[in-house]
Amino acid sequence: MATYSLANERLRALEDIEREIGAILQNAGTVILELSKEKTNERLLDRQAAAFTASVQHVEAELSAQIRYLTQVATGQPHEGSSYSSRKDCQMALKRLDYARLKLSEVARTCEQMLEN
Amino acid sequence: MAQQRALPQSKETLLQSYNKRLKDDVKSIMDNFTEIIKTAKIEDETQVSRATQGEQDNYEMHVRAANIVRAGESLMKLVSDLKQFLILNDFPSVNEAIDQRNQQLRALQEECDRKLIALRDEVSIDLYELEEEYYSSSSSLCEANDLPLCEAYWRLDPDTDSTDCLSAPLLASPEPSAGGPLQAAAPTHSHAGGPGPTEHA
Repeated sequence: MATYSLANERLRALEDIEREIGAILQNAGTVILELSKEKTNERLLDRQAAAFTASVQHVEAELSAQIRYLTQVATGQPHEGSSYSSRKDCQMALKRLDYARLKLSEVARTCEQMLEN
Repeated sequence: MAQQRALPQSKETLLQSYNKRLKDDVKSIMDNFTEIIKTAKIEDETQVSRATQGEQDNYEMHVRAANIVRAGESLMKLVSDLKQFLILNDFPSVNEAIDQRNQQLRALQEECDRKLIALRDEVSIDLYELEEEYYSSSSSLCEANDLPLCEAYWRLDPDTDSTDCLSAPLLASPEPSAGGPLQAAAPTHSHAGGPGPTEHA
């Protein structure tokens, strides 16, 4: 298992778990609805009940795995890294470009004025 | 592989609470669902009248269904808390995300500077020609402290010095603010350029 996978993968896995929890509730509702009918469709009932049980076990296993991973990698310290320096450098580069564009437009305007006069 | 570190008490307690919540919610869902299915079975013999039993079963099923929904919502809250904990405390992935962002920003900055340097080289050529045209034309206003780029060029070649505006130019010192960026683009383009605004160490 890749311990150092991207955070996005784990967050995506958690989002899938959220969707699956919604599916669990929906399956439970379908089973009870099917039971309430006079003539029940047994195959559908069995299928939905099996899906419900499998989903619940899957969700429990996945969440346990996530909590186990967090127990391994979590420390008590806050993370103090940032991308501020490179962001500032990039901002300054874009400012340089804007400045150059401004000066070029001034030169172009001056040239046009000279041509008109 | 990864040994269990001594987590601070609060983090340890928090993770244990997450485990407990997970177990409780899953147990609640399964139990309540099973009980609803059991209650759906119609008994032939009841202690109270059938109508009363029916009402009681109805109420019980409502309550159990509400319990299932509550447990489901509690699970969603747990997932949300786990996401938050992951974002704040999963150091390997936070480090990787920061490195990736740094690389992206650095690449963008290098591309901006590269394009700016290419622009500078092109503009310096055109600017030199423009200045030559400007100072050699009769419409230019010649002053002692004019931009000395052409003057520097003409100083190298005194035979071509024919304009009146250079009658007393050698005594005037060029203004550093006006001449700075232009002196970077020398006629021969031999050196890399002075410390202009486009230079970046």
